[in-house]
Amino acid sequence: MTRRELLQGGAGIAALNALLSRDAQASGGLPALPHFAPKAKRVIYLFQHGAPSQLDLFDYKPALVSQRGKDLPESVRKGQRLTGMTAYQATFPAAPSIFKFAQHGKSGMWLSELLPHTAKMADEICLIKSVRTEAINHDPALTFFQTGFQLAGRPSMGSWVSYGLGAESQDLPAFVVMVSQGGGNSQALADRQWASGFLPSQYQGVKFRSGADPVLYLSNPAGYTPAARRRFLDDLGSLNRLNYDEYQDPEISARIAQYEMAFRMQSSVPELADLSKESPETFEMYGPDSRKPGSYAANCILARRLAERGVRFIQLFHRGWDQHGNLPKEIRGQCMQTDQPSAALIQDLKQRGMLDETLVVWSGEFGRTVYSQGVLTETNYGRDHHPRCFSIWMAGGGIKGGMTYGETDDFSYNIVENPVEVHDLHATMMHCLGVDHMRLTYKFQGRHYRLTDVHGNVLKEILS
Amino acid sequence: MWSLLFLFALAASSAAAPREIEFNRDVRPILSDKCYFCHGPDAAAKKIPLRLDVEQQARRVIDSGALIKRITAEKDAMRMPPVHSGLKLVASEIETLKSWIEQGAKWQRHWSFIAPRRPALPEGSAKHPIDRFIEARLLREGLIPAAPANPETLLRRVSLDLTGVPPSPAEMDAFLKENNYEQAVDRLLASPRYGEHMAARWLDAARYADSNGYQYDGERVMWRWRDWVIGAFNGNKRFDRFTLEQIAGDMLPDATLDQKIATGFNRNHRANTEDGIIPEEYAVEYVVDRVETTSTVFMGLTLGCTRCHNHKYDPFTQKEFYQVFAYFNNIPELGRAMKYGNSPPLIPAPTDEQKKKLDALDAKIAAAETRVKTLDRGLAQWSPPANLKWSPTTALDYANDAGFDGKVVDVPGKAAFDIEDRFTLAAWADGADGSVLTRMTNTPRGKGFGIYIANGKLHVHMTSAYSDDAIRMDAEQPLAPGRHHIAMTYSGSRMAEGIKIYVDGQPVAMKVQIDTLYRPFNNAGKPFPEPLRIGGGGGGIFKGRINDVRVYSRMLSPNEVAAMAMPESENARRWSYLETHEQWRALMALKHERELLERTFPTVMIMSEMPHRKDTFMLVRGAYDKPGERVEPGVPAILPPLPVGAPNNRLGFAQWLISRDNPLLARVTVNRFWQMYFGTGIVKTTEDFGSQGEWPVHPELLDWLAVEFMESGWDVKALQKLIVTSNAYKQSSKASPELLQKDPENRLLARGPRFRLSPEMIRDAALAEAGLLVGKIGGPSVKPYQPDGLWKELTMQTLEYEQSRGEDLYRRGLYTFWKRTVAPPMMVNFDSANREACVVRENRTNTPLQALNLMNDTTFLESARFIGQRMIKEGGADRLGYGFRLVTGRQPSANERAVLRGSLQYHLDYFAGKDDEIKSFLKQGVTPADADIPPRELAAYASVASLLLNLDEAVTKE
Repeated sequence: MTRRELLQGGAGIAALNALLSRDAQASGGLPALPHFAPKAKRVIYLFQHGAPSQLDLFDYKPALVSQRGKDLPESVRKGQRLTGMTAYQATFPAAPSIFKFAQHGKSGMWLSELLPHTAKMADEICLIKSVRTEAINHDPALTFFQTGFQLAGRPSMGSWVSYGLGAESQDLPAFVVMVSQGGGNSQALADRQWASGFLPSQYQGVKFRSGADPVLYLSNPAGYTPAARRRFLDDLGSLNRLNYDEYQDPEISARIAQYEMAFRMQSSVPELADLSKESPETFEMYGPDSRKPGSYAANCILARRLAERGVRFIQLFHRGWDQHGNLPKEIRGQCMQTDQPSAALIQDLKQRGMLDETLVVWSGEFGRTVYSQGVLTETNYGRDHHPRCFSIWMAGGGIKGGMTYGETDDFSYNIVENPVEVHDLHATMMHCLGVDHMRLTYKFQGRHYRLTDVHGNVLKEILS
Repeated sequence: MWSLLFLFALAASSAAAPREIEFNRDVRPILSDKCYFCHGPDAAAKKIPLRLDVEQQARRVIDSGALIKRITAEKDAMRMPPVHSGLKLVASEIETLKSWIEQGAKWQRHWSFIAPRRPALPEGSAKHPIDRFIEARLLREGLIPAAPANPETLLRRVSLDLTGVPPSPAEMDAFLKENNYEQAVDRLLASPRYGEHMAARWLDAARYADSNGYQYDGERVMWRWRDWVIGAFNGNKRFDRFTLEQIAGDMLPDATLDQKIATGFNRNHRANTEDGIIPEEYAVEYVVDRVETTSTVFMGLTLGCTRCHNHKYDPFTQKEFYQVFAYFNNIPELGRAMKYGNSPPLIPAPTDEQKKKLDALDAKIAAAETRVKTLDRGLAQWSPPANLKWSPTTALDYANDAGFDGKVVDVPGKAAFDIEDRFTLAAWADGADGSVLTRMTNTPRGKGFGIYIANGKLHVHMTSAYSDDAIRMDAEQPLAPGRHHIAMTYSGSRMAEGIKIYVDGQPVAMKVQIDTLYRPFNNAGKPFPEPLRIGGGGGGIFKGRINDVRVYSRMLSPNEVAAMAMPESENARRWSYLETHEQWRALMALKHERELLERTFPTVMIMSEMPHRKDTFMLVRGAYDKPGERVEPGVPAILPPLPVGAPNNRLGFAQWLISRDNPLLARVTVNRFWQMYFGTGIVKTTEDFGSQGEWPVHPELLDWLAVEFMESGWDVKALQKLIVTSNAYKQSSKASPELLQKDPENRLLARGPRFRLSPEMIRDAALAEAGLLVGKIGGPSVKPYQPDGLWKELTMQTLEYEQSRGEDLYRRGLYTFWKRTVAPPMMVNFDSANREACVVRENRTNTPLQALNLMNDTTFLESARFIGQRMIKEGGADRLGYGFRLVTGRQPSANERAVLRGSLQYHLDYFAGKDDEIKSFLKQGVTPADADIPPRELAAYASVASLLLNLDEAVTKE
């Protein structure tokens, strides 16, 4: 809804301005939303970009050991398409994970030794082992996760959420994105992954970066103090108001309000990004990387700070999970960077009483193959892209902790129980936020679009 | 948009007796939005027996009363639309349907599929035909047009609309003095800035970008097409030709270079280069993109919806989608595109300047050729030296007669070729195994290129990354024992077909093992350091002897290679003789110069047809790997057939698009231009003229304009002039609260247009006001200021954004390099189209990021500094008024002056004694400030100028 459409209700200018400034400050969301009482107020989405191996982290396959090096049976592969990278490989030797698994928490959740910290949170998380996707390559798969459609152009999930529910914060955008660099093979990301597609661009994700300008163009030019900027804005407001008197265009009032919001961001964002007042215990909890600006661990602390300040959708991307070769070495590095901070985030939210109202999601864009890409040795293997099954976890607001959902076959190749579509994850996420995914739509090019396209079922079994 | 219609409906109905319901305007939008998803063109797929888009079927339920009964049923289970659909009819919609049925339920064909006819002008006093329509409607609504805009506002408005840049103070003065609006419009239409401005929106529609998109997002080179568009608008190319040439210029008889370049329109789509993709899948995506873009831009249709199923709202079948698809499915293209640069089909596309150079060179070559004509006469008398050996001298990079005899010869800096360079390697070799000539890392499976003998066979490769970013090929036949002349020539094509291998002067058959070379050897500006090696490299040493090594920075011809290999041959003798003559050497040098010049020509991707038509199949649910029924090319049945005599191919399709019978092209085009001027089209849904599209707010005007446009000979400039000379356009945009309430979106035009400028216009205006804007038209895209690190954070290659220098920092926004995965942030902040896929509707938001952008972006701060400088140097006694006028086109009011004075004084005080702050504050941008101006004063004026650039008025067309 644009401001102009809002105006059609017909109200006096004063009332209009009140409406406008609220709209400008906090993008109020749609009047009919939430559709029902939400369990979660916000989402923190920890995206592991490049596709982590479910076989080495979550999907324990003891029976695979006996299949080591043997060609993947056709009865399992069923002629399914392979990527252009391994389609011409002569054999597909099964590569059991070299990492040890153990049971954790009250439910006895199987997790790999690579995730010692996540393991301690086993009673908080719901592990879903039976997610599948349609896409087989990074860009379409990530686009699918982000927008519900493989081809670019639709709004990202964060944009849908901020469009539907608006922001809680008066000083920060509703949808914030942070990117950290992993150590392994990195695939490209793109700004459009958090773009608003055909929704108005005020709903796009705002990328927070490490360094002097956490938001693009946030800092005043050198030599120009906040006091000078305040005076500048006062003068600007006076001039714009004079023009408003002439033209009566509500866009002018909206612009005045946006400049005020920008000014508030100039102090709220640096305050947010400044971790110096965090306690030593916090840094300890999030691990040694957490003092490094721009690291995944530091971004996890920032995610919590954003959550505290009412940001609706917080999405982290950690790059470097694309382990076609040297998987054992590279995945260790990636887990060193991400395991402790991810677990600490849950713990931290819990300690602060925020976990109940915050939905935390951890996922990649697809899984990895059971067979080795390239040569399989005692200590080394690689894994190609695998869309047919992979594991993700969710925790917090609205989600049943300490459970494992879905099952795959002995090769972690096909799903045998409770298949979960990406659309289902979207529907479930929306449900936790109090939104019926069927009813949050936007008309574009004659069609009523929604995040879940024409699909999506809420995973009722995993709801708390 | 029903609410808006409803508002008008209320307004009308409250004024008079129950108004007449019109099916297309009032009823179809309701049925379409609320019923057609199930009871529409795709009903059969859902096994639903009732279609409400087909009159006969609809009549059944209208006449029986079932329609009203079902939509008003009390019980959820009985009521339509069903609860699970998420759709609901509101009371006013039910009322409309009831009234329509009471009035006789008159049916109409969908308006946009009926060819427009010129309606009579409504009665009225207005002189301008557009105003007749506008004023007639205003009268009905009980409204009156606004007063004319004041001249300053009007000239600024029309200058921004026609050229994208505001008027200079001199232009403003002249206009105020002469008061000749039409003359001003003509001047603007004739300005080269006009074509640039028109092109900017066309680039959005054509999803133009400087990179391939998807994941790898390597650079491509399509600016020759962009410049063609600018030229077409500036030259006022008829819009039907503009359309025809972009769709099928390559298929016109004796197609010119420009006509081929025009077809780049349908090569601007994204292209996937990722190793893991299945090429067939993306080959389908490219064709789908062409169909979607073509149908949106030229027809206002959402044909893309029929990729997987029959259209839910409009009378198009899935089969018809694939019939249109078939027109665009016959291109010799790759599903997996080249990672860097353009993918075939492509052509070299010299600029006019380059063509001139080429012509001049050709004339020189022709003259040089006449000078060598008589030389051959002396050949018979010539006695060659003993042991005659010949090798070319032109573009010789390196020669070594002694060569290799067991010890590898390293030659740093030679054969420093990359994958797009042409070169030749040649030598005599006697041996059965090992590296002959290489330039590569000295390990097996390394990077670089070279010739080897392995297992008795010649082996050649160019490898950027082992194993598959490479070209690799082996000779089909083993090499006979003994000494052979071996040569490799390479065309710079990055493909195996560009490599020729010769043994003893004869080309030999090669078996291509891998043909997927993408990445250059030089990496992001870092040169590939390996030396040329004779008898080594790649971890191997040659077993045998090598001599007479020759390396050329060009591709030798087969005859030249043969002459090197056969010293006794006629050519070797003749060329040895000719090379003793200066005239011959001069000719050779000129020819080489010509080749080098040709190598600098930019290329452009174009459309071309394969000689035999490729079969097209329907794809089940749109999936590339589920072919269904085979289809022939064809146009949708609801629209007129191909014109008589038109071939049933892409050219015929283009002729069909522009034919007088086609109901869509002219309407869709005038509507898009209308949107440029008034912010919203006559049909708001610029991209959708189908059943779900909006009913035109001025249907007769739309048709009148469409017919006028066609009958004018599709004269684009005439259409623009017609629109901007209407009173509707020229009136003041000031609104009263009552008017705002009645018509918030200004669809009725009881006031002039007022809306925020496009990102390009905002940037260009600031630069123009600063006096920094560079007028150069066209050329490669440029990289102006942007915050550090944006590319590096997201790209795979950790690519750095290499900022342009000098005048390229101040080019117009449409020349800014558009990298799809990391689009220019200022453009994104101000609602630019995404350039991923076709976008024709303009979108305008108002966000805090825009405020930060205007306050703190180097481009705007540097511009502010230059505006401040102009205020001081050119402003005379009224510096503040001068600056205000530079930015807004008008004089400030007394109140505004007071605020500006206060701001200036504040900043003078603020900067007093702050020498360091002033220094850093003035450092924004690379162009230094005028040293004569006291820094404190400059800083204060720059601050006021920044204030001006942040005014709502500065970024708004008033």
